[in-house]
Amino acid sequence: MMQIIIQGLLLSGLYALIAMGFMLIFSIGRTLNLAYGAYIMVGGYIYFWLSQQIGMPKVVGFLGAVVVGAIMGLLKHRLIVKPLKGDPVAVEISTLILAVIMQSAVVLLFGDASKILLPIIPGVVTISGAQVTYNILAATVMSWVIILALYAFIRGTHTGRAMQAVSMDQKGAAISGVDPDRINMITWAISGGLGAAGGVFFASYTQLSPTMWVAPVIISVAIVIVGGIGSIIGTLIVAHIIGFLEIIVVAVWAPELRGVFTMLLIIGVLIMRPQGLFGREEH
Amino acid sequence: MTFKYGIATTVAATLMATTAMAEIKVGFIGSLSSDTGLSTLRGAEMAIDELNAAGGVMGEQITLVSADTGEDVTEGVKAYEYLAESEEVDFIISGSIDDVSLGWLPRMQEFQIPTLDTWTSYIGIIDMVVEDPDLMAPYFMNIASDEALATLYINFGADVLKAKMGWESVVILAEDTAFGEAITGLVTDALGPVAGIEVKEIINYDIGTVDFAPIFSKAQASGADFIYQVSSVNSQVISSQYVKLQVPMAMTGVNVSALGLEYWEDTGGAGGGISTLSPIPSVGFELDPVSAQFVTDYQARYDSRPKMPHFNGFNAYHGLKQAMAAAAEAGGFGDVKAWNAAMLKQDLKLEKDGKLWLRYGFWQHGEVEEVTQRTYPQNALFDLTAPYEDAQPSMVVIQWKEDGSVGVVYPFEYANTEFEVPSWVK
Repeated sequence: MMQIIIQGLLLSGLYALIAMGFMLIFSIGRTLNLAYGAYIMVGGYIYFWLSQQIGMPKVVGFLGAVVVGAIMGLLKHRLIVKPLKGDPVAVEISTLILAVIMQSAVVLLFGDASKILLPIIPGVVTISGAQVTYNILAATVMSWVIILALYAFIRGTHTGRAMQAVSMDQKGAAISGVDPDRINMITWAISGGLGAAGGVFFASYTQLSPTMWVAPVIISVAIVIVGGIGSIIGTLIVAHIIGFLEIIVVAVWAPELRGVFTMLLIIGVLIMRPQGLFGREEH
Repeated sequence: MTFKYGIATTVAATLMATTAMAEIKVGFIGSLSSDTGLSTLRGAEMAIDELNAAGGVMGEQITLVSADTGEDVTEGVKAYEYLAESEEVDFIISGSIDDVSLGWLPRMQEFQIPTLDTWTSYIGIIDMVVEDPDLMAPYFMNIASDEALATLYINFGADVLKAKMGWESVVILAEDTAFGEAITGLVTDALGPVAGIEVKEIINYDIGTVDFAPIFSKAQASGADFIYQVSSVNSQVISSQYVKLQVPMAMTGVNVSALGLEYWEDTGGAGGGISTLSPIPSVGFELDPVSAQFVTDYQARYDSRPKMPHFNGFNAYHGLKQAMAAAAEAGGFGDVKAWNAAMLKQDLKLEKDGKLWLRYGFWQHGEVEEVTQRTYPQNALFDLTAPYEDAQPSMVVIQWKEDGSVGVVYPFEYANTEFEVPSWVK
């Protein structure tokens, strides 16, 4: 039981970090950014390249990944999302195609084979019979730090409040003097940076591979659909529901069914409460 | 996955461009981006180059076209159709994984193109040969089938895991693939009765699994003495997480990623202690002079991964030459039965220090293997009984050490290091 609680907490923290950037774009930019997984993949590979292949300090690798992720977010907004504004289906398709292109680029640069990231912090500790790496502990702590910082930023700064306003009513925010375009740009950059940061931890917990972007997108979509639009707390709680659900299914039932109940949860919430468990109703 | 109809012809291109002579067209089917696929492709390229340099086969030069499967079953079927219908190849050499081979096999039966599988080891295909030799006449598999691999691995269980390490129970972690199912079934059936090792639990996992922490916890909870893993896809993930988590149980089994020289780099050095069954020749396996020369030539020619060909690269190199020799004897590939009969006669013996070290030949129809008491027609020859005087063993067990070195631990006749548990396993 203790193993389930520990592993559930660790996995959930990671899921929350991964989903946070996706939730921001979905809530504020109103875009189902299916290329979000590409930030995660690129973040992992940039960290791998900087810290493991050319031997730079890990902190430089991490910051490099975040910066590249943020730039990718900005470029995507400028080059794809803005020109296609008003056509959500075209944006979704374009972002999905972009993710596939990024996957091919990664194959070209790094090859098809999976790669393993060295732990950011090496070592293992046994807690109540569960083997816990310092790496995943650090990932969980960092997740919480980043999530709390994001929460403070959105609640406590002018830009953050403007992001909230745009998320609720873009036209109303514009009338109040907020520049939605600028806010969207900032949001895409933050989302890209968060995705890349999540990618470093996700890759160090699992693996690097050109197809690694798919699973985090599915997790993010699940968390945001079940949690609802515009709720950091909701994202956090649902990340824990899904994280624990997966661990429990693997530990007491069958590993092959790991993702099945998450999918059932999505369907259930879509039918029973389309706005999500913690989301506001859209009009 | 993208289906690439890319023509990867690298064989004597200049010569071919200036010569109007007839040609023998060879098709490669496999992944063009995996170490497995590239090993077969490159082995075939080298064999073709050598044959062409020596004047070709029956006075004809050999060309090579390739079709990428991307290790996807659907793409594999399309790739086979492309080689058969669009390229109209005479012979196909395959570096496909088991599931992909099973996908295109009905196409091979339909088109009746002589085909040599260098990686797939699924015993079910050999069963098809037994059941319908005419329909399966074009098919040869020059890797020992998985039943032979598993049978010898059971001996490792008895001789080392039970007798030397004192382990009496196992938990099996198996990926959900045709290969995983086949190996798990074979091991489960034999570990208890032959090696005296009880199978406590079988845990199957999806090949997309990237988080093994709860699975290892479940394995520990089974109370077994060691873990037997069966992994042919994304194997470095389970290995590296085993090392990173320092799972306090020994783990051995089948780990395909550990068969390549890149394993250490791919796992970021988190791969020590992992042991795996490996077809021959493997990394850490001492080579005879002919095989050593092949590796030297390979490394002089290719500077990208895989730095050393996997076993199927050797199989492709020798197997393609044997297929061409059979064609020369049978008057080409057109008469499949004649080619089949000539192919069955192929027999290449490689010696090391005066001892038979490797043998590239095939089991005949009706020839019974004495340990398993069954037949393996058109499957690579192997020997399941020490001291392996008839052929090489069906497999060896190799182990990566925590310092990054690798060696053979079983059978003892081929061993150059000892099996040991990782330092964190008490």
